[in-house]
Amino acid sequence: MTVFVCGQEVEEIWCGIYDAWMSRLGHENVRIEPEGRDRELFCEYREVAAEEWKAEKVTKSIRKKLSEELYEVVYRAALSEDADRADKIYRFLIYAFAMGTNVMDQLQIPAVYEVFRMTRYLSREYSHVIEFARFSRMEEGVLLSRIKPKNDVLVLVSMHFADRLSGENWILYDCKRKKAAVHQADRGWIIVRADSAQWQERLNKKTDEETYEGLWRTFHKAIAITQRTNLKCQQNMLPLRFRPYMTEFNKV
Amino acid sequence: MLIQEEMDIQEKLRILSDAAKYDVSCSSSGVARKGKKGTIGNTLAAGICHSFAADGRCISLLKILFTNQCIHDCRYCINRRSNDVVRTRFTPEEVCTLTIEFYRRNYIEGLFLSSGILHSPDYTMEQIYETLYRLRNEYHFNGYVHVKAIPGADPGLVERVGFLTDRMSVNLELPTAEGLRRLAPGKTREKILMPMRQIQRGIAAQNLRALSDSKGSGGNVRRHLQDSSQTGRNFQNQWWDHQRQSAGTLDIRNRPSAGKREIGMADTIAHPGRNVWTSFQSQNRRFFVPAGQSTQIIVGATPESDYHMIRVAEALYQNYDLKRVFYSAFVRVNDDSLLPELPGGPPLLREHRLYQADWLLRFYGFGAEELLSEEKPNFNILLDPKCDWALRHLEWFPVEVNRADYGTLLRVPGLGVKSARRILAARKSAALDFPDLKKLGVVLKRAMYFLTCSGKMMVPVRMDENFITSQLIGVEHGKVWDIENHDSYRQLSLFDDCQVTALVSREDTVSALTGTL
Ligand code: SF4
Repeated sequence: MTVFVCGQEVEEIWCGIYDAWMSRLGHENVRIEPEGRDRELFCEYREVAAEEWKAEKVTKSIRKKLSEELYEVVYRAALSEDADRADKIYRFLIYAFAMGTNVMDQLQIPAVYEVFRMTRYLSREYSHVIEFARFSRMEEGVLLSRIKPKNDVLVLVSMHFADRLSGENWILYDCKRKKAAVHQADRGWIIVRADSAQWQERLNKKTDEETYEGLWRTFHKAIAITQRTNLKCQQNMLPLRFRPYMTEFNKV
Repeated sequence: MLIQEEMDIQEKLRILSDAAKYDVSCSSSGVARKGKKGTIGNTLAAGICHSFAADGRCISLLKILFTNQCIHDCRYCINRRSNDVVRTRFTPEEVCTLTIEFYRRNYIEGLFLSSGILHSPDYTMEQIYETLYRLRNEYHFNGYVHVKAIPGADPGLVERVGFLTDRMSVNLELPTAEGLRRLAPGKTREKILMPMRQIQRGIAAQNLRALSDSKGSGGNVRRHLQDSSQTGRNFQNQWWDHQRQSAGTLDIRNRPSAGKREIGMADTIAHPGRNVWTSFQSQNRRFFVPAGQSTQIIVGATPESDYHMIRVAEALYQNYDLKRVFYSAFVRVNDDSLLPELPGGPPLLREHRLYQADWLLRFYGFGAEELLSEEKPNFNILLDPKCDWALRHLEWFPVEVNRADYGTLLRVPGLGVKSARRILAARKSAALDFPDLKKLGVVLKRAMYFLTCSGKMMVPVRMDENFITSQLIGVEHGKVWDIENHDSYRQLSLFDDCQVTALVSREDTVSALTGTL
């Protein structure tokens, strides 16, 4: 067994898939793994060098030879939190290239089901993030939102808000991965690393939001019908892990 | 009654959201509209829930009354004239600012504006119009808006508002004209149905025009809409014509006969809500009520049976093209001798069953007549309406997964719209077995009694009504207990109210529907 060890960013995953595929060792003799796993005996380990051209080759052939839809599927799968996503996508692609573009219908096939499962989980989390993310206004009028998603949905979430709040300056900060999407009004957005001390200081400045946050809490409280109180339902619909980032659940 | 206008905005918001909360509609679905430069906001076809209140209901829109002042005295309503409560009103600016500032912070998907009747229906509707006009044109709000059409208001006003809002609703409130007379003396069935009919006609005329204009123009439905003023005039003419012909009666006799709906007919007996008004605006031409209209019926304030309720709902879907009928378990907020006592609290289980049945009507191809009848007028407390139906029609089962058509699959308990579609897609490549079904999202603990895979059942069962009933009641038992005890039932089914609101707003108009009833 030859193990290809690659990084966790989407591009690095494409590179891992490229190396594994092009090694011509036979699909059943190779495996893709993330960095930092314990090494097994009798396996040969190869580090995958991340290079843009490899990633490009992989994405191009998915888009050309399979379809844009399937590219979107595997792109989303590559954002998943599943540690084995690279290998799972690899298995999926083997099947997809053999069977053609209708593969997503064949959920009974394990390779397809795994990718389906990852993307379904990611999509659910994406929905939750666009529902429950809260912005507050910082000094210069910039809107700031902190999120902590399990899957790497920052790019998808930013696309949503870029369309919705196109005229605003905003920052979406992923606390888990310490990166941020920075949007400039009527311009566009980029993703930046935000682990520097400067960034941290900026993010930790207090926002001056008493008025609207207070109003929102008032509304949130008043809108519930007391005779129907059902905290369990509330919790099922709005899991506790999102609440630290939500205005209405922050006690002042 | 003195209206306090000089009140602090926080207090106003508290009072006017508190007074609006009995309206259960909360979805922000039905229209997909991209963001636009120079405006704030967009909408998603499936809608978005932004939070959940302590009662487990979804919060999607800033749901407020414009004022809680009212000239009427509806018995069930907290805002009725005879109640001694603090009265206040918003100004249009206040509503606009709150909406925009909440939206910007991603608290809400848009505005839900309802109102008590201040001075007169016309005056109230004018205030609503002014608010919406400013919100759209001065504050450049491009997100979701749902407003009430005030019964009795000038049709011209209703129409103008219709071009600024996404969804409009008129609440039917009580399922019978008699109930209205007793409990809502200021309202009549005719007055309520009139704006409902007007909105229906307006939407229909717009669609018709869009479709006929799009012929020969590459199918662009939107481009050729007349500008709103002209379209408006046409609507109004048609509306008046219609009023002369019928006084807007709700004809529940006009229903399909039960015999015609047979199981396993064509795929077409059920399809998820599709929306042709996908854009609200193109080149500054506005659309009339692009997200369609909805209504609300109070459950348990008057003595109608479930059968009556779903017949009314069915008639509303068929005759008024409603997008949604919402059911609101009666909450006894006023101590009034004409209102039922309800010692057990609001009838939540009943509301839950009605929502389940409503889904069966809208997405599963069921007719009201199949679910209940004069002889069996109320839903089974222990079983959901679909299981209940299946048990009374065991002669149809078991169904062969690898052969049955879409409509037939939809009739199987434990199988929903989404899983039925997945089955159709997956079985093209290979015959399916029970473990496969699980992956496709079938709820086997219900479906196992009604399915075969390549001729085999999951476990050998007798097709015996009593036996299967007892098995299914076991599955359902905990849920019923939870509902009655206000507990955790909602997570267990996709069809209870809180899931429905969440789910509907997410998926109502998306072709992919989860459903495992
Ligand atoms: S019209 Fe009736 S239901 Fe509506 S606010 Fe007035 S009293 Fe309440």
